[in-house]
Amino acid sequence: MSRALKLAAVAGAALLARRALRGRIARSPLWPLPALDTPVSGHSPRRWLPALITSRTEPADGVLMLTLESPELPPWAPGAHVDVQLPSGLVRQYSLCGDPADTGRYTIAIRLIEDGRGGSREAHAQLVEGAELPVRPPRNRFELVPSSSYVFVAGGIGITPVLPMLREATAAGADWTLLYGGRSRSSMPFTAELAAYGSRVTLVPEDEAGLPDLSALGATPPGTLVYCCGPAPLMNAVREAAPPTAAVHLERFTATTPTTATSRPFTVELHRSGRTIEVAAGETTLAAVRRELPDTPYSCEQGFCGTCQHRVLAGEVDHRDTLLTDQEREDSMLLCVSRAQDDHLVLDL
Amino acid sequence: MSNTPHAPAPVASEHIELKARNVSFGWEDTPLHWLPGDPFATHTINVLHLLLPAGERWFVHVYKQVLPYVKDEQLRADVVGFIGQEAMHAAAHDDVLPHLKRLGLDPTPYTAQVDWLFEKLLGDRTLPPGKARHWWLMERVALIAAIEHYTAFLGDWVLNADELDRRGADPVMLDLLRWHGAEEVEHRSVAFDLFMHVDGGYHRRARTWATAFTALVFLWQRGARFFMENDPELPAAKASLGQFFRAGRQGTLPSAGAMLKSIPTYLSRSYHPSQEGSTAQAVAYLASSPGANGGATA
Repeated sequence: MSRALKLAAVAGAALLARRALRGRIARSPLWPLPALDTPVSGHSPRRWLPALITSRTEPADGVLMLTLESPELPPWAPGAHVDVQLPSGLVRQYSLCGDPADTGRYTIAIRLIEDGRGGSREAHAQLVEGAELPVRPPRNRFELVPSSSYVFVAGGIGITPVLPMLREATAAGADWTLLYGGRSRSSMPFTAELAAYGSRVTLVPEDEAGLPDLSALGATPPGTLVYCCGPAPLMNAVREAAPPTAAVHLERFTATTPTTATSRPFTVELHRSGRTIEVAAGETTLAAVRRELPDTPYSCEQGFCGTCQHRVLAGEVDHRDTLLTDQEREDSMLLCVSRAQDDHLVLDL
Repeated sequence: MSNTPHAPAPVASEHIELKARNVSFGWEDTPLHWLPGDPFATHTINVLHLLLPAGERWFVHVYKQVLPYVKDEQLRADVVGFIGQEAMHAAAHDDVLPHLKRLGLDPTPYTAQVDWLFEKLLGDRTLPPGKARHWWLMERVALIAAIEHYTAFLGDWVLNADELDRRGADPVMLDLLRWHGAEEVEHRSVAFDLFMHVDGGYHRRARTWATAFTALVFLWQRGARFFMENDPELPAAKASLGQFFRAGRQGTLPSAGAMLKSIPTYLSRSYHPSQEGSTAQAVAYLASSPGANGGATA
């Protein structure tokens, strides 16, 4: 090959490369650094999204229904719930009962529990139209698994996560029935909407018909999925009544324990180190753990920095921090402030 | 250890017990151009919100691993305090990002790259236990010491940047920057002391300084350009070096001269962070900071 040809080929290649590079940068100005697929910064599940209460209604006796709006509210699927921060700082979980297709809008329903821990009383008294209500991004541990047939059982306010499921199951053309129990007809929300589903829905107000009859659950055919949300006795009864092989999905209303001043002693099993330690009444879990494992990371010792968050393998935790999300609380705790609910915890340490 | 037999002496009076502060900032009323009339300086400082959440989470991640190497009780207490302060910084800056998105300037394309940088490129990597893993940990500890030299420099600058007050900067943003800056000044010796304690090699110190400095310049100019080009209120804006020098002269950004002077400072063998900045000034600010004293400042 002649020299001139070589030169022309190199020049041509350089020109093409330059054009390709410019085109690449024009298409994406932040080239060439790769990006993390699921961004972390600015997307913390702990962040509070400011939402506005745009309507407040009472769909049944003692039930408050709120519509929250904000362009930032992420999409969700039936069965999801959100953390809500009440004006006093109390954090409570409520299922979303609106329409997932209605983007930018969440609907929650709150039953007033007079002798409860105060969250529902505060909500009923203070959450008015036009007020701001911070919510955390939704999460779902009660997902509707696709199937051709379902049996839904709801007790009282437990209807809330089930309601969007009925809509989705109907839209998918699935075969379903709903057994919906409550104290009295006037205290059961959404009965008007449910009436549109006709004979698929069985309403069982306790003052008229007693407790719902779960015996039919025993004949649940294989492949039919059972979804139940309501008080613990109802869910236990559903679990017992359904055939052992049936897929039963339960939504537990996690009762986050009240922060009590009393601190009882308990034991902690350090799973990886294979040791069991005693936590005295007057000391923190962190202090006891650090006696065995002095290099355990920690910092603020007041439950806000998150450094001492550790995985919990077994045991119920009495969470006393205000930092962790509902999801994080399922399998982790802050050693500096939180303790065992009962008398034993197993930590992945 | 290694090739610095006589570590530089810290200024003892500048030492203070470190403790994380539980802060709270309300962003509802902060405008996009929180430094009125100066979008370039606003956005150049805003780059902090892009880099710090991922960066300071990474500091915490690395320091949790280095705790077992700390044999000095005083230093260990300092590192423990440092970790909590850094975790709070990361979370506080992270909260600004959704607010920027609300104002029409979505930072995610940029922050997702910073996330990659700190979580993947500078992450733990699958190294065999032993020499390789130890080397990588020490390299990162040295990188953090070099970066902390600059955070302390910026912290000292922002505590003394009276021009920001004169121009009517948003009080909440200024409080975030000064609370953060003051804690950086307060704990400015920890990263350096830790590095000197676990390694202290001068070659490593110089090498990681060069890496950190280059990366910071690259990321910062890129961040400022990113913000200026995507600012919804400024369709044709561009970032330029000229604007940077001008802002430095006016006092709305650190001056280029001061930045250049900080290079030989860090590379000097007798350097110790306690020789620069004032703990008393930092502590005085922290005592009066609205965000660091419990209240949302909305």
